Amino acid sequence: MAGNTLIEAKGIYKSFSGVPVLQDVHFEVKAGEVHALMGENGAGKSTLIKIITGVYTKDDGQIYWEGKPVEINSYQDCQKLGVACIYQELSVIPPLTVAQNVYLGREPRKGPFIDYAKMNQMTQELIDKYQFPLKPTTVVDNLGIGQRQLIEILKGLSQDSKLLIMDEPTASLSGKEAEMLFKIIQKLRSEGVSIIYISHRLEEVYMLSDRLTILRDGKNAAVLEKEDIIPAKVIETMIGKVVDESAGSRKMLHSDDNAEVRLDVKNLTDKTDRYRNISFQVHRGEILGLGGLIGAGRTEVVRAIYGVDKAASGEVWLDGKKLNPSPKASILEGIGFVPEDRRNQGFIPLLSTTKNVALTNYDIVKINGTSISDADELAMSKRAIEAIDIRPSDPNKQVGVMSGGNQQKVVLGKWLMRDLKLLIVDEPTAGIDVGAKDEIYSILEDLAKQGVAVIVVTSDLQELLRVSHRIIVMRKGDIVKEFKNVEVTQSKVLSAGQGVEEEAE
Amino acid sequence: MKRMNQTTMRRLISIGMLLILVVLFTILAGAGKGKFFNFDNLIEVVRDASIPAIIGVGVTFIIITAGIDLSTGSMMALVGMTMANIYAYTLLPFSVMMLAGILVGLLCGLCNGIIVAKFNVPEFIGTLATMSIFRALTYIIAIRDANGVIKSQPMNHSQYTWLGTGIGKFYYVIIAMIIIVAAGQITLKYTRFGTNLYSVGASKKAATLSGIDVAKTRLIAYVITGFTVAIGAIFTTARLQSATTAIGMDFEFNPIAAAVVGGVALSGGSGDVIGTLIGALFMATLENGVRKLSINTAYQYVIKGAIIIAVVIFDATYKARMDRKAREEGAKEGLE
Repeated sequence: MAGNTLIEAKGIYKSFSGVPVLQDVHFEVKAGEVHALMGENGAGKSTLIKIITGVYTKDDGQIYWEGKPVEINSYQDCQKLGVACIYQELSVIPPLTVAQNVYLGREPRKGPFIDYAKMNQMTQELIDKYQFPLKPTTVVDNLGIGQRQLIEILKGLSQDSKLLIMDEPTASLSGKEAEMLFKIIQKLRSEGVSIIYISHRLEEVYMLSDRLTILRDGKNAAVLEKEDIIPAKVIETMIGKVVDESAGSRKMLHSDDNAEVRLDVKNLTDKTDRYRNISFQVHRGEILGLGGLIGAGRTEVVRAIYGVDKAASGEVWLDGKKLNPSPKASILEGIGFVPEDRRNQGFIPLLSTTKNVALTNYDIVKINGTSISDADELAMSKRAIEAIDIRPSDPNKQVGVMSGGNQQKVVLGKWLMRDLKLLIVDEPTAGIDVGAKDEIYSILEDLAKQGVAVIVVTSDLQELLRVSHRIIVMRKGDIVKEFKNVEVTQSKVLSAGQGVEEEAE
Repeated sequence: MKRMNQTTMRRLISIGMLLILVVLFTILAGAGKGKFFNFDNLIEVVRDASIPAIIGVGVTFIIITAGIDLSTGSMMALVGMTMANIYAYTLLPFSVMMLAGILVGLLCGLCNGIIVAKFNVPEFIGTLATMSIFRALTYIIAIRDANGVIKSQPMNHSQYTWLGTGIGKFYYVIIAMIIIVAAGQITLKYTRFGTNLYSVGASKKAATLSGIDVAKTRLIAYVITGFTVAIGAIFTTARLQSATTAIGMDFEFNPIAAAVVGGVALSGGSGDVIGTLIGALFMATLENGVRKLSINTAYQYVIKGAIIIAVVIFDATYKARMDRKAREEGAKEGLE
């Protein structure tokens, strides 16, 4: 059971281009404990882990391993100490067997040849010790994601790792696979292996962890012992009591139910069960906030409404007309979509503002004989630049070299050139500076005033509260809560997303 | 219930394709002397498959790492012409001549390896460039007559041409092919290097994290290909009893086609040398059968190309389906 301190990070500081990300953070894991790490997006969890695994260099502070100060400058350094990171993005080799993966690069040999008998036996011993549902000779091709993750854990254990770092390990697992993983984690703990468990999912943390460190805005917010891990308290700590009282994190929602319904989504259900029976409406002039944890299915739902991915069943109605969603049809019907992955899906970095703005609008750009009217194209982009103050204002500037905020304005700008009925924005201000954020919010508000229905998907609670007229919260593919004409706080939204029933205040 | 794994399944499919082709030609061209299905003709098919299969061993290694080599045909010509020069202008023994040929092959492979693995030039463009360079070098060192016109250099000394024959119908090239394919398969399946090839092809990132030297692994695959090309060049010139600048023209298609038909995925990380051998036999059977049916040989290339496209489409859709199934079933079974 939990014993001496295995790893301790003291007084850790880290900043990126002058912006502090971690300030005087203290983090300690004892031998044989499952230590959870939580915090809102941007609280500094992944930065802290990257410092521990040698991906980033800390600005100040000291890491101790079993009481001795150590320098970790590369992933190899941390492997040598006995730390193994279980990657979210799986790094197993599908054509090889379980045993070949576990001992990759370290295969036992007889002369020039791999000693398969010995390798399989060594793997079997590990499997038996920790009771993994695996066989050494199975080819990974034939395994599910959960089992592939176990191979990575096994690989760590085969190198005598004392500390396993798991970053959102259940993100892509089915319920059954997750249960298997939880059993394994408990088994590992009983064998004296320490685990850092990073998760957004409070219920998992609640069930598994011995202790919980919460980070908030790059600082330690709390270290809770098992008996103190009470959902309401955790959420309060993550958000911060003071913050929750402040103006930015509570809001009286107002929406007008009598306004004409623009978008009507009926029983939208995914082919692979990432969301099911999603029904909601958005009214003329309304900004609907779609909240929930990452992986709750929000992005998948809005992609299906726009028609990038097809839903298995369900209907999408716009202004009383049933749609057959596809990007082309959506554009013609007056739906705009600003995707989450701006750089890869939002715009073409090598093209100019003019070309990017024109890209979705060639049906309305004038044609001269057989070719597109350059003058009309240019006039259009000038209108966009003027309307939302894109900088630099040179219409021929490559969008790839602009700031994140202006890139996003270009993405928005192309939709403003159309007669929009519905605009969907997914994480509209991720990686954008504060000033540009405000500008983007006012663009959305202006659109709403003009009667456009707007859906905002965001994981930033402050943003959600700031822009929304009404909020619905998704959790594990279902709509679990609607906040309408009530006072809402960050805690309430987070609790709904976590599936925590809030006690009456 | 245990499902058959994808690799075994794919192997059965390529064997099935080969058998279907043999049966088809037997029906269309008939069995018996002078027809398709008889011992003499079938051994010819195997003989024709040998050189693509030998060079296919190296090319398979490269494709498993998710690479490609377009220069093997030109490389073969350069090796052949190097040996022709030694043959024409020196009195060195044939063993030295062949060693020199092998050395040139290794050097060409090393060049490809350095360009691709050390300087990270994309494989396709890097080896397309060396394809042009090796062919040009062949012309530069080509043997010329008194008027300076390139001529075909005879290499018809019996101490060399015996390599083009065999023990009865068991041609030496077939024996060499069996040895090299076996050595290739053992390397692939029973050595760390073989495992490393798969790892590099499946995920360079995962391979690096496991301490595998990705650049070195890729480089060695190209050097091995250089060696197999040199062996191929030796048997080709011995059989032709001459060296010309046209040797290996358009040949690079053959080992790649053999590998693809045999189940070596161009995306890397899967397939093996036995698969490539089956693929080489398939392509040789196709060529032979088309000849026996007296079909215009131009159609041969249409058929070959179409088959490759079909196989790649099949592999991609089949793999996507199997992967999804495996994930779904994996999520269900074996977890209790």
